[in-house]
Amino acid sequence: MRLPVPVKVGLFALVVMGAYTYYANSIPQIQSKPPEELSLEGGNVTPEQLVAAGEKIFKDKGTCEICHKIGQKGTRAPDLAGVGAIAAKRRAGVGAKGYLVESLLDPGAFLVEGYPNIMPRVDRPPIGLNRSELWALAAFLQSQGGTVDITLDDIPKTAGAQAVGGGAQAAELKLPGDAKAGQAVFSGKGACIACHKAGALGASPVGPELTQIARIQTPEYIMGKILNPAGMGTVAGYPPGVMPATFGQTLTAREYLDLVSFLLTLKGDGAATAKR
Amino acid sequence: MRVHCEEGRPRSGPAARWRRYAWAVLGGSVLSLCLLALPGLAQEAGKAVEYRAFPIFGSRLAVWAVAQIHLNFAAFILGVPIFAVIIEIMGWRTGDTRYDWLAHELVKLTFAAFSTTALLGAALLFLLIGYYPKVWNYLTGIFFPTYWVYVLLFFLETFAVYLWYYGWDWLSGPRKWIHVTLGVLSNLFGTAILVVSNSWVTFMVSPGGVDESGALTSFWGAVNNFTWIPINIHRLIANIVFGGTICAAYAAVRFLSAKSDEERARYDWMGYVGNFVALSAFIVLPFAGYYLGREIYAYNQTMGITMMGGFMSWLWIIQAILIGILFIGSNYYLWLGMERIPGSERYRKYVPYLLMVLAAGFMVWATPRSLIVTLRETRAMGGTHHPILGLLGVMSAKNTAVNLMILTTFLSFVFYRRANKVSAKPWAGVGMAIQWAAVGAAAVIVTFYGVYGYFVESIVRIGFSVYQVAAVLGAIVVVMVIDIPLFRGARATGEIRWGAIAPRSQYVLILLAVTFTWLMGLMGFARSGIRQHWHVYGVLRDTSPEAFTPALGYASSVITVVTTVFLALVMFIFWLGSLGEKGKAEAHAAPAPAIAGGSAPEAR
Repeated sequence: MRLPVPVKVGLFALVVMGAYTYYANSIPQIQSKPPEELSLEGGNVTPEQLVAAGEKIFKDKGTCEICHKIGQKGTRAPDLAGVGAIAAKRRAGVGAKGYLVESLLDPGAFLVEGYPNIMPRVDRPPIGLNRSELWALAAFLQSQGGTVDITLDDIPKTAGAQAVGGGAQAAELKLPGDAKAGQAVFSGKGACIACHKAGALGASPVGPELTQIARIQTPEYIMGKILNPAGMGTVAGYPPGVMPATFGQTLTAREYLDLVSFLLTLKGDGAATAKR
Repeated sequence: MRVHCEEGRPRSGPAARWRRYAWAVLGGSVLSLCLLALPGLAQEAGKAVEYRAFPIFGSRLAVWAVAQIHLNFAAFILGVPIFAVIIEIMGWRTGDTRYDWLAHELVKLTFAAFSTTALLGAALLFLLIGYYPKVWNYLTGIFFPTYWVYVLLFFLETFAVYLWYYGWDWLSGPRKWIHVTLGVLSNLFGTAILVVSNSWVTFMVSPGGVDESGALTSFWGAVNNFTWIPINIHRLIANIVFGGTICAAYAAVRFLSAKSDEERARYDWMGYVGNFVALSAFIVLPFAGYYLGREIYAYNQTMGITMMGGFMSWLWIIQAILIGILFIGSNYYLWLGMERIPGSERYRKYVPYLLMVLAAGFMVWATPRSLIVTLRETRAMGGTHHPILGLLGVMSAKNTAVNLMILTTFLSFVFYRRANKVSAKPWAGVGMAIQWAAVGAAAVIVTFYGVYGYFVESIVRIGFSVYQVAAVLGAIVVVMVIDIPLFRGARATGEIRWGAIAPRSQYVLILLAVTFTWLMGLMGFARSGIRQHWHVYGVLRDTSPEAFTPALGYASSVITVVTTVFLALVMFIFWLGSLGEKGKAEAHAAPAPAIAGGSAPEAR
């Protein structure tokens, strides 16, 4: 049977494309997933947990490993083996912690000889590490030959302020909630202050501090965390299952929106009193 | 009363009825897809939403597929007129009606695809507005003034193309210059449309003119972002290649379906011209791609490194394989074509050597360097890179390989061009010696800098690629500058037997078209994928459930489906366009010239 030319051509094209598709499916399949946000603020985190979190950031979200190797001379960036010990001697008058933080937030301030000034600020998009993540990453770097003694206070409070979502994202979100009423929910019906501190409000160390929550977390995370705390994960250093999962039933829709609106005003500028 | 329009298609009768049915089916399908989304939309009325979910397939896949098919059509209708008008000018100035016929045939194909491109553009617009309102609003806030420019250009382009096509016979003879001017204008407006829309796409990859909060600080900065000019150049060249390969594939199908020797000869010639156009532009495309890659690195090192050495590293191996197939396929077609040229025996002995260089270059280009490998593979290799072959995976080796492949392809073309000619010039020997010296010198320079690149710093090595490219381009210019006068008035060893080519050569043309279309899909994925979880890189984050970038296997399956749909649509549209020819001896008012037994076009 003689096949019509268009059918033969069509089959030929399908075979060619099938071969390409087969090959592309036979190689390692790697997805690029959006990085998860890490929050350690106010957390009781051990140095080991901190270093482990930092190592993960080094390999994943921080994309550091693309250029920096540990124990291997890089062509684009210096070897970071022993950087925890070397950091104290890099710049006169700048301690190890100061040098490591500076190298993350202002990489061009000091260049290792032989390497170009190509490293981006890691607290800015697109890498966009938040303050907790910077802390963990610096701790991991310290652990490379040094002693981990860096604290959250060593990370500038302004660092990571534009980390989440990009500027356009943060500027756009407008909820129909009332932040002032949300503050009342936070302190009153929601009883959030029983566990969380938000600027001048609350003082209990039971749950993570929320003073900067709007800077370090996405609105989606905040909204999801209130309704489904377990589903959104547990902040490192805190026991799981403590936060009630009943706010979806106890709060009205209005109160929920108000509460979220209030939390979105918490950007670590010290003003915990909501403005209309 | 006129009973048919200028293109020879009847306004009524079976052909017109088929056309109406076809459009009704196409329109109905699009409408049905839109209706599927209505229930969800009704529930969201009055709310400000950032994303909506496209039924069944998901929003990303819907936008991806429609955008890629639209892009394929747009590339075709923008690329083909560029060389169609050049061919028309050749016909006008030489008086050879074959060129005029071919130019008309090419524009006919473009014209048939014109409305489908616009329809797909509208579908893409609706999808973006409907399913990605946050992205759309943000981009509109930046680029709103360009929308008006785009609309104006679209009107001008439409009118120019319609006049160009429908006025083919009306503006013939002494008014031909007006017709050619319309063709040139069509191209200028079309290129301007490309440039405007490229600013939107490139802004998403390498945003400029905005501050850290994403607010606009400089409109021109947003338009003239890092990748705008490189993409403009790259797409313009790639469109010509793409247009050439699709036209050649169209000619191949017509050749294989031909009922007479005359028809076979005509479409053999058309296929040759299409491939020639594609090959000519394809030779410089890697340079444009290199420029684009360099600008991506200049904009953001992390993005560049992620693109070449991160999760996308395997993509470039697939790209290398596809480009290798394109190079070898194009050369193979030329070698097969030489068999229909008396006198080409003199040059066929070089073919095995050319093939060896191409195969070696192909292997080097497809050698990986920074790949994500399994632990088992790492152990088997004795490290993250293969101890010997790993050396061939770096840019020094790859640049050398691609430049030598380009030089080899150029040699194939030179052999084909002079296959049936013997120069009558007294300085022929000296001229040819200079030509060979130029090619040899280019090969030496390319190889020297390729090897030397291993011994210098990367910043120095990057500069070497410029010398390599300059050497190859210089050799091409020197050879052609000598070749044109050398073979002017040359003695012919015989006429090209158009139509007397092996049918497998036509499948090579189809292979090239399919491969290039697939490659376009792959590069579309690369351009979009390097943004990862950002709509606008570093400015507007993708917070939808589909924010992840899929793996290559999934992407390749999507590309195959999209390419299949595109090629099916193209065949359908070309078939629609050919309905007007049924029962007619000619495609338009000027008779299609017989080519069998005619002299070779390049001999004129």
